Amino acid sequence: MIAYFLYLILLLPLIAAVSIRVFLHPFPRISVAVSTFACLGSFVGSLGMLFSGSVSGEVVAPVLPWIEWAGFKANFGLMGDPLARGMAVLVSGVALLVHIYSIGYLEKDPCRSRFFAELSLFVFSMLGIVLADNLVSMFIFWELVGLSSYLLIGFWVERPAAGAAANKAFLVNRVGDFGFILGILGAWALFGTVGFSDLPARVAGVAPGWAVTAVGLGLFCGCLGKSAQFPLHVWLPDSMEGPTPVSSLLHAATMVVAGVYMLIRVFPILELSHVTMTTIAWVGGVMTLLPALIACQQNDIKRILAYSTLSEIAYMVMAVGLGVTGPAMYHLVTHAFFKCLLFLAAGSVIHGCHEEQDIWKMGGLAKRMPFTAFVLLLGTIALCGIPPVSGFWSKDAIFAAMAHSPGLAAISMGAGFFTSFFMLRMILVAFCGEPKSEAARHAHEGSFFMIGPMAVLALLSVVGGLLPVEKFLGYSHASEHASWTLWLSLVLAVAGFVPAYSFYRRATQEPLNFVVLRNKFYVDEFYQRVFVSTQDSFGRLADAFEGWVVRGFLVRGSGVMARASGQGLRLVQCGQVQVYAAVFIIGVLVLLGWLWKQGALR
Amino acid sequence: MEPLFFWILAVGLVVSASALVAFRNPVTNAVCLVVALVIQAALFITLEAFFLAAVQVIVYAGAVMVLFLFVIMLLDVKEEARRTPPWVKIVGVLSVGGVAILGLTKIVPLFPFTQKTLHWGQGKGGGSASELGKLLFTSYSPLFLATGVLLLVATVGVVVLCRKDPES
Amino acid sequence: MIFGEITLGHYLALSSLLFLIGLAGVILRRSLLIIMMSLELLLNAANLALVAVGRFQGLPDPQVAVFFVITVAAAEVALGLAILVAIFRIKKTTAADQLATLRF
Repeated sequence: MIAYFLYLILLLPLIAAVSIRVFLHPFPRISVAVSTFACLGSFVGSLGMLFSGSVSGEVVAPVLPWIEWAGFKANFGLMGDPLARGMAVLVSGVALLVHIYSIGYLEKDPCRSRFFAELSLFVFSMLGIVLADNLVSMFIFWELVGLSSYLLIGFWVERPAAGAAANKAFLVNRVGDFGFILGILGAWALFGTVGFSDLPARVAGVAPGWAVTAVGLGLFCGCLGKSAQFPLHVWLPDSMEGPTPVSSLLHAATMVVAGVYMLIRVFPILELSHVTMTTIAWVGGVMTLLPALIACQQNDIKRILAYSTLSEIAYMVMAVGLGVTGPAMYHLVTHAFFKCLLFLAAGSVIHGCHEEQDIWKMGGLAKRMPFTAFVLLLGTIALCGIPPVSGFWSKDAIFAAMAHSPGLAAISMGAGFFTSFFMLRMILVAFCGEPKSEAARHAHEGSFFMIGPMAVLALLSVVGGLLPVEKFLGYSHASEHASWTLWLSLVLAVAGFVPAYSFYRRATQEPLNFVVLRNKFYVDEFYQRVFVSTQDSFGRLADAFEGWVVRGFLVRGSGVMARASGQGLRLVQCGQVQVYAAVFIIGVLVLLGWLWKQGALR
Repeated sequence: MEPLFFWILAVGLVVSASALVAFRNPVTNAVCLVVALVIQAALFITLEAFFLAAVQVIVYAGAVMVLFLFVIMLLDVKEEARRTPPWVKIVGVLSVGGVAILGLTKIVPLFPFTQKTLHWGQGKGGGSASELGKLLFTSYSPLFLATGVLLLVATVGVVVLCRKDPES
Repeated sequence: MIFGEITLGHYLALSSLLFLIGLAGVILRRSLLIIMMSLELLLNAANLALVAVGRFQGLPDPQVAVFFVITVAAAEVALGLAILVAIFRIKKTTAADQLATLRF
């Protein structure tokens, strides 16, 4: 019985989503309650699973047979090893907090039922990724998560920008998934299995070579898409068109880190090839710096946080590339706490300022929304890696691993500098000084539903560093402490505050002007020019083909030919008896001649 | 003697048939048909089918042609207008005729049984009324009865067809 | 050979010729009445062929068939003329090419 517990945790949100969508649409309050309680059930279940049995043991659920064909086995099973259990607790817990927050955030929205149904669907899909025991079923849930993201980003259907952003997210993800599929197939071809539990054993027998590198890079493509790393990072800032709870849950805490989770799962494959590891590490490294630079010139509060998310995920990716999956997971956990907190606080700000998102139109919010300001500050401290808050411990663990590669160390510590810079910039502009608009003047705190989760997350952000996570993540605290990385990163992080303070303390408009940064290095424009327009022309070509050949020639043509032959044949019916008689005679003669030729007439 | 009779009758038959088809006056056509039917009866006699010859004259030339003449007089059928038929029909008929004649001269000799000759008096002699009657009333009696029914149906049909609609 | 003994082939050739003439009449003439007369020619050609074959092969059955043909032809003429009269009453014409309403 216990063995089926995993399935229960997985399926509760799905049942909630389906029942809301099918029955409960007209009853928003009941939908909200159903969705939240389902998430609560999953969370409690995950906690129970976490503490039952031995900590490092596995909880295995029965496997449902699905595909078994010619040596390719992809069954539907759930895996409860320590990593999965810890991640499940994280996902369901943060999701639960966001559910509660959304009750307050969306209390006036008429489409609440749909939102909570889609949110439950997302929780189901994310738990599926976490608990999947082979690459194929993980891929199914991968796509489902992409679907939920699409639905949630485009939640406000009356906004065309939201629809466009949802499309962009899904399509860019698809590009990554193409590489992912190739990687999965390559993994099966090389190692004979796609299951995570027998992967380490199978991998050990294979010699490294270009094939292994290709498979590793293919799998990394999937991570590029889902976790929004270069060059597929363009969808994440646009995804901020969705409601803020969505941004906090999907695009900060859980969905975007699915890529990192997947990399950790297939780590034995990646480890085999030095090229793969180096690529991953450097992509991660560069990606820590780029968004940090861009964020220094952004004015939308959610976009700033989105770019900081890109940067933080890059830290995790870089850690995987450097071979230390423990710190990567550690940072994943702490990042979930403080990034979610930051987004919820930003949502509170937006809600308080009546949907205003431009930081230059806020100001003086510290006096009007003190609690939000306080938690935002705590989150920033965690983000920038200032001790003794949780973010410091996890970032420090990653920096420690970089002791052997000074190039990466330089880039990522520089990113840390800029992170502090833009975060303080955001706080100073939005919260200090005088209110710069009417909306800001009348700002107020949110309801209890919004404050409660923020308080919990603030607590977790602060003490999260002390949680005994390493037991679950296979990593131990005290190893690998190189002091020079610790001190250098700390110095740079604090140093970042200084120019921010000087520039923005009393600024009423943007003093710095770096156009390249403001335009996000023109990556979006490049994609538009090169890829989107070629796709467009292909689409037009296909449309012309369809219009002329398929619709015109084949479909209408067959109709026209049928009618024309009918018109031709009906001329036979002339109504003249003599003509009919003549044709009759000719027919008889032909028949006789034929019979004669056949020799039937003696 | 036989070839003489045959040839005279054959030529006469063909001439009267052609006249039937060629002339335009309906009465002329009817008379030509009578002549053709009588010559046909004569041919039956040369073939020693005496009863049939009698039936031919009585039924065909006697009843059917009288019917035709009655209808001609009833409807006051006029002379047919002089008009050339559409070229399609002429071409069709001529081609079919040509092909047929050619074919006949080629095909008929192919069958050996067409080379048979039979002189008068040498045949089986089944042409008398008693012989025919024996067959009719024994082997073919169902058909005979059916033909009776057929004639009844024809009579009823004719009466029905020629009724004037009741004026209301 | 043609002008020697009279063979079955002669009679069959005569019958075919008669048939062709009748066919020409059916196809080429406009008046329905004449067409019906030509139909009689066709039937007679068939009768001639039947009797000739019956005599030369020594079979009595074709003569029975001719008997039936004559009977049926008589019935057919009666009905055909009745139809002709009925049509004439309505259409006032007996030309075959003007009675072509059963067309597309």
